[in-house]
Formats: sequence, C-alpha cells, structure tokens
Amino acid sequence: MTTRHTRRPRVRAAGAVLAGTLALLLAATGCSSKASGDGKGDSADGVRTGPGVDDDTIRLGALTDLTGPYATLGKSIVQAQQMWADEVNSKGGICDRKVEIVVKDHGYDVQKAVTAYADIAPDVVALPQVIGSPVVAALLDDIERDKLLTFPQAWAASLLGKDAVQVLGTTYDVDMIAAVDFLTRTKGLKKGDTIGHVYFEGDYGANALEGSTWAAERAGMKVAGQKIQATDTDLSAQVSALRKQGVKAVLISAGPAQTASLVGVAASRGLKVPVVSSAPGFAPQLMETPAAPALAAMLNVVSAAPAVSSDLPGVKTMVTSYKKKYPDSPVDSGVLSGYNAAELIGEDLAKACEAGGLTREDVVKAHRSQSNADTGLGTPQNFSDVNRPASTETYVLKPDAKAVGGVVNAEDAHTAPGVEEYLSAR
Amino acid sequence: MTDLLDSLLGGLALGAVYALVALGFVVIFKASGVLNFAHGSLLLFGGYLVAVLHDDLGFAGALALAVVVTAALAGALDRFLLQRGGHDAHSAHVQTIVTIGIDIVLLTELARRIGGDLLTLGDPWGDAVTELGPVTVADSRLAAIAVSAVVITGVFALFRFTSWGLSLRAAAEDMEAAALMGVRLGRVRAGAWCLAGALAALAAVFLAAFPAPGLERTTGQIALNAFPAAILGGLASPTGALAGSLVIGLTEALVVGYQSELHVLGEGFGDVAPYAVMLLVLLVRPNGLFGAKGAARV
Repeated sequence: MTTRHTRRPRVRAAGAVLAGTLALLLAATGCSSKASGDGKGDSADGVRTGPGVDDDTIRLGALTDLTGPYATLGKSIVQAQQMWADEVNSKGGICDRKVEIVVKDHGYDVQKAVTAYADIAPDVVALPQVIGSPVVAALLDDIERDKLLTFPQAWAASLLGKDAVQVLGTTYDVDMIAAVDFLTRTKGLKKGDTIGHVYFEGDYGANALEGSTWAAERAGMKVAGQKIQATDTDLSAQVSALRKQGVKAVLISAGPAQTASLVGVAASRGLKVPVVSSAPGFAPQLMETPAAPALAAMLNVVSAAPAVSSDLPGVKTMVTSYKKKYPDSPVDSGVLSGYNAAELIGEDLAKACEAGGLTREDVVKAHRSQSNADTGLGTPQNFSDVNRPASTETYVLKPDAKAVGGVVNAEDAHTAPGVEEYLSAR
Repeated sequence: MTDLLDSLLGGLALGAVYALVALGFVVIFKASGVLNFAHGSLLLFGGYLVAVLHDDLGFAGALALAVVVTAALAGALDRFLLQRGGHDAHSAHVQTIVTIGIDIVLLTELARRIGGDLLTLGDPWGDAVTELGPVTVADSRLAAIAVSAVVITGVFALFRFTSWGLSLRAAAEDMEAAALMGVRLGRVRAGAWCLAGALAALAAVFLAAFPAPGLERTTGQIALNAFPAAILGGLASPTGALAGSLVIGLTEALVVGYQSELHVLGEGFGDVAPYAVMLLVLLVRPNGLFGAKGAARV
C-alpha cells in the first residue's frame, strides 16, 4: 500500500520532467525557424531588400512602454506613429510598399526590452521608437551590430557617435546651456549668482548637469546641484537647501512629478525664483494638480520641439488629425516627437528607395546623407555628423492650462550663444 | 537658524507620516511574525481608492471608505491566504515570502490602472501654507503631524486598554501559551492586519498631499523608507517604530537640507542616509532602539 503511494508521484514527476523538456525543445526549435526574413536579395522591382522588407511591406519596430512609468508617453508615440503609417499607406505607401509598425511593450524593464528586441529585430528594417535611456543603453551594441537605424526617445549626449543611433533634436546638455542663456537674458541673472540644479541620477541628469555647469561657468555663475531619484516626489528638503544657498533660479532635469513638487513647494515657501525644466520634466497633467498656478507663474521648459499648441502649419495639421483619430487621448509632446520621428524615418526610407536599396545599410546611409531634414514640425535637422546633436536650436515653452498640451511657445527656436563653443570643446 | 527650524519641522512631518507606515509593519510583525513586504502596495491601494472615489463621495467619504476597504483587504489577505500556513515561527518565514508575491500582484494591477498618471486626492489642504514665525509649513504637513499624533495615541491605547490589545501582546510574547489561555490567534492576527491596512491608507493621503504632486504608481515605494524606521526602532516595538520614524524623517530632512555642507559624502546622500543610520544604530544596539533582547545563548 505504502509503496504504491510513494511510487506513483515519482512516476508522475518523471512524466512532468519529460513533458517539460519536450516543451522546451519544441519552443527552441520554434524559435529557430523564425529568422526567415534574413535573406537578402533583389525584389521584383529591382530594389535591394533585406530583413524587414519584402515585395509589398516595409516593417518598422517600436520598443515602447505601455504598462510602465512612461505609459502615457508610450501610448502617445505609438498612436501618433500608427496615424503616420495609416496616412502614408493611404497615399500608396513608401517605395510602392505598405508600412507596418510592429509594437512591443517592455514596461520600462530592461530585461524584457532585450527579449523584445531579439524577437522583432530580425523582422524589421528600422526602429522609429525606443523608449527609456537604460533600455537604449542595454541595446546599443546590438543595434550597432545589426545596423538597425534607431530613434531613441532619450536625449543623453552619450548616445551620440553611433552610426545607427540617431538622437533627434538637441541633447540634454545643449538644452541646459539654452536654459542658462534664457535666465541671464530675460530673468536678470548675472555674474556671481548661484543657480540651483535639481537632477535625476543617471545619464539624463548627469548630461544636463554637464551643460548647466559649463554654461554657468562661462557666465561667471555657480551651480548648486541637488541629485534626486525618481521616487523622490516631495522636494521640500531640496527647496530648503536651495533657499539656504541663495539661488537666484532653479533648473530641473527630472520627471513631471518632481517639477510639480519643486515649483509648488518653492512658491509656498516664498522662494519665488524662475524655474526652467528639461523637456521630459513637464506633462500636460501637471496643469490639473494644485501646483498649476505656481507652474504657470514660475516655470519655463526648454525643448527642441515646439509646443503642440504652436502655430506651425505642420503641427496644426498633425494635431487636428490626431484629435480626430484619437478624440479621447491627450495631445502631449510625445505625439509630436513620435510623429516627427516617423516622418523622418519615412524620408530616410524614400531616399534609400531612390538610391536603389532598402537594406538596413542602405537606410542608415540614406539617413546620414540628410543634412537638412525638415518635416515642418519644428527645426530642420542635420544627421550627417554622428558626433553632433542633430540640431542645436531650442524653443522656450511656457505652461498654460488652457492650451492644447498644456504649454505655449514663449520663445521661437534659436541656437543659444555658447552652444557651438561647447560642442567644439567637447 | 530659520533653515534649521525649517528642516526640523519638515523632518518631523515626514517622520509622522513614516510612523503611520512603520507602525503598520510593527503591528503585523508583532501579531504574526510576518514582515509584510506588501505594505507599500496596500498603501498605494488605499491612496488609489481615495483618488478614484473623492469625486463622488467627497474627500472625507472617500477617505473613510478607502480606510475601511484597505483594512478589509489586508485582513482578508491574512485570514484567507497567509493563515492557511499556520501560526508558528517557521511558517511566518514562508508567509513573509508570500507577501512578496502579494505585493507583485497588487502592484502590477495598480500600476496598470494608474499608468503614467498623477492622481490628485482632493484633500482639503491644497497648497495652503501657514507661517510659524520665520518658517513656512504646508498645511497638509501640519495636518499630518496632528492626525498621526491622534491616531498613534489611539493605537497605543488600543494596545494598552482593550482585550484585543492584551491578546496581541500575549500572542507576541508566547504564541503557544496565549493559544492555551484561550486567545484566538487567528482573529487577533487578522485584526492586526486590518489595523495596519487602515494606517497604510491614511498614510497614503499624506504622502500624496501637497508638497508631493499627487499619487503616482511609485508612491508605494516611499513606504520602504519607513522600513529602516521600523527596524531601527526594534521590529516588535510600537514605541520603537515611532522613535525610529522620527529619527529617519529628521535624518532625511537634515541631510538634504545641509547637503552642501555634507558634500564630502557625495550628492544624493539623502536617499542612503536612512539606511546608514539604521546600520549605525544596529551596530550599537543589535535589537534596535526599543527591541526585545534576543535569546541569550549559553
């Protein structure tokens, strides 16, 4: 009796192990059959093709965050790029092929992103969207190896210098040089003053601090840094410290929650100084928090992209169609940057097609040949020098609860003095 | 001087909120020997309820309902999930690990619902501030200090003067003996979990109120700062949790406030400081400030 009882489970366990091994084997073989799009060759119309492109489709990939901390941004970009693909396809596509975007959600988890990349990379020709600095950092080597033209939604200068990776617009350091210039020009900051800079640890904050420190030094000012983490949402202590240091203005390179807390607390504590944020530090939702009046009074945002409420005809058309297609979604900066990235990829693909090839190498080459790419959605960009930001021009934006996207343009795009000097010294 | 007062008051307010969370850790540990890693997501759950309900029920109604529902959820988790493992010290370890699982499930669902949003809780303080002599304090922080003081006194009275409190203390002292004396361990435990859940929901409101911009998906992680508070106080001592929370709150506020003087320690030291203080205290007093002496080996 007892022997039967003890033996049975053992047999079952062995069976389970066997079944598990078989399942693994099946999964493994299933995986290996996947790399089918790898073959290169000429298609019927004489265009060289490679992975991600066949006779009637061009496949693009997006590694996005739809369930993590940047879910709102991710959704905006995905929808904007899908809208672009639909528009392009309704006009006959690119190179007589339909455009298709394969979207993978990584939830801001680097491990998941690496798996997702391995999953889609063999079947796409370029990546017009990769969200998250840590994600991009983890994928850099793979992207370079695969020569997969990638537009990351991250703007650290450390991403420059890679042939296949294109940071669109300005980098964080350039933005902060413009911010310091804005403060001295319009807010009366002068030699001898101290500027506070609250920044996230990691590439984003470090790169922004590099720019602000350089610009402040050039203007004879000092930067008092306050490093914070993404989980710090009550900046009372930081504000106390900044006030003690007698700062005349504050820069912030963090997330929207931190910007709201900083400005709200500073206003309530009587530290009524101008605050300038990096572009990722603002979101339209902030204008619904109790800090909204203080934000409207004290905050400016430096950004390579114009406000979505801007008068640029291209932006206006895009915003109108987006609102029509997704009436329930907020129109934020992600919509604009996502659509812009897609347009630029579209131009690259069209150019590559003209030159007779749609392989990944052809697309990267076409991209690097563009020295004045203008989508009408902001400033023209120069992609020919891998070591320089694609643009040095920045807008200054101002929060406005009534405007679409919660901001309006305060200053038009221009290159801040000192930026050229900074870039050549680097 | 003003800066010092400013930092002290800020630290006191922060400590008061941490105390609500740390007390939850301690009550649960005392009653069940379980270290509740799901406390952060319970807190987020409570805050989320207030955020979605305040439009319909008003702030007070939403808060009351959130406190009750979070308490019920915590109690139910214990009664129907953890208590199946039994009441001895060994199974408490297993149950501690189960709470990690609960945390993942709860947090994933809440994060999915909250997404990238910043939810306002509709609290009555808004961004109002009060001038106390030379220092300015947010009203929400004053409210946090006042409410925490009242609630914590209440909890202490509960321990001291009710039969449930007596049972809890008896069970914490010797579970087996308490059971033999007729203490219904299951009920006492579930009661403790309910209390901790209620405290967490209350803390969520103050963690999301004014100086912070609102409730985020990461708000629950702030509860982790109360963790060193509970440990350095001595994990089984409510008085210790209170003292530990004040120490941690003040440390954080002072270290950040005087960051420029402390720059030899590197920037961003404020985030590490609670843990550094915890280690220092534990080096001197291995059982925490008010912890029970461990069994001495002969």
